[in-house]
Amino acid sequence: MRIGELSGQALHERMSSDGISMAIPPVTVRVRSPLRFLAEQIRSLYGEYEIVDTRGFADADLRLLPARGVRRRLRPQVEFIVDGVMPFERVPLDHALPMFEWGLNWVFCNRMHHYLLLHAAVVERDNRAVLLPAWPGSGKSTLAASLSCRGWRFLSDEFGVVSIDDAKVHPFARPAALKNESIAVMRAFDAGAFIGPVFPKTRKGDVAHFRVPAESVRRAREPAPIGAIVFPDFQAGAAVEVLPLGRSTAFLKLAGNSFNYEIVGERGFRTVASIIERCESYVLRYGDLPAAHAALDEIVRAAVPA
Amino acid sequence: MSEDGRERSPSDSTRWCVPPGQHFAFADFDDGIVVFDARVGSTHLVNATAAEALSIVDGTPGIATVGIHRTLLERLALDERALAFETVVDLMWQLENLGLVARVA
Repeated sequence: MRIGELSGQALHERMSSDGISMAIPPVTVRVRSPLRFLAEQIRSLYGEYEIVDTRGFADADLRLLPARGVRRRLRPQVEFIVDGVMPFERVPLDHALPMFEWGLNWVFCNRMHHYLLLHAAVVERDNRAVLLPAWPGSGKSTLAASLSCRGWRFLSDEFGVVSIDDAKVHPFARPAALKNESIAVMRAFDAGAFIGPVFPKTRKGDVAHFRVPAESVRRAREPAPIGAIVFPDFQAGAAVEVLPLGRSTAFLKLAGNSFNYEIVGERGFRTVASIIERCESYVLRYGDLPAAHAALDEIVRAAVPA
Repeated sequence: MSEDGRERSPSDSTRWCVPPGQHFAFADFDDGIVVFDARVGSTHLVNATAAEALSIVDGTPGIATVGIHRTLLERLALDERALAFETVVDLMWQLENLGLVARVA
């Protein structure tokens, strides 16, 4: 059963009691919250995700609870609790969804060390995944979201989840967090794209979430071989440029974009080396999405067949 | 002298080893060699001479700087004009500063 098959009321009731366990491959997440509006938001963004047995194992047990005490009425806030621990400060109550997304990022980043975790968006076409590694502000989420509106498979906007055994990249397909100007850019780029409510003045500015296309959710258990590494570099007004990178430079840039390279140790080193050996790396400088798409189409066409 | 009191320049008789528990992994690309320091989990981009020097020290614990220089000349097929002894002295000091090699007491 998919989350979207539950009515809003039914989802709210389940989240308010035992919780709902959803498969967001490669993890299962149990979510509990009495917040009706959060249930609605999760339903609209995660409607295509499978519900799994709540009594079974979940990689993370998350609760989003309204803060208690006198501030409950004066300044309502929400607490993010994972496996009984509250790792973050409370945030305004109406920021529960961004808190859920950030919290889940944090949990994933701190627990999934059987993968090499790259800070990267990932898209795929013709069985060739393209890693888009970058730190915040480079436009990787917008780029990945927009590509998924043009026939590419969306694997992630935040995590390159790389198997240490075979260096394939696994989807962790969750809503893409669009920030500030990117929200309007995506709305203008594709009027049919579903973008959730705008959360103003979060700690990362204005944030809204792009819903992962249904086909990408359906294929969320399919890893893909990596065909190219492209470091996006958005610069307003810039003409598109594709700059090839030497392999050792690309190695250091890719390893430097990993969340857990030092933790994974030598296996991480060998995994990065394996990725770098088998595909080309580029810096993609761009100022608009259509030009970036054309460059990426060309790159993936030239990539070594998987 | 360096900040920790070591001689800035090792002499030709300084002998070298890799620190206890040290282990290297290498990835050799067209434009450089990447070496992984398994003891601390750090990664360095090095040139062929440095990678070869690490390999020599790893394979011959206690080798002196002069011996490293001689072996490098053989393995890399160079003469002393292309790779001066002073260059190797400086290289060993840099590798020591990165914690990749240590002096034998």
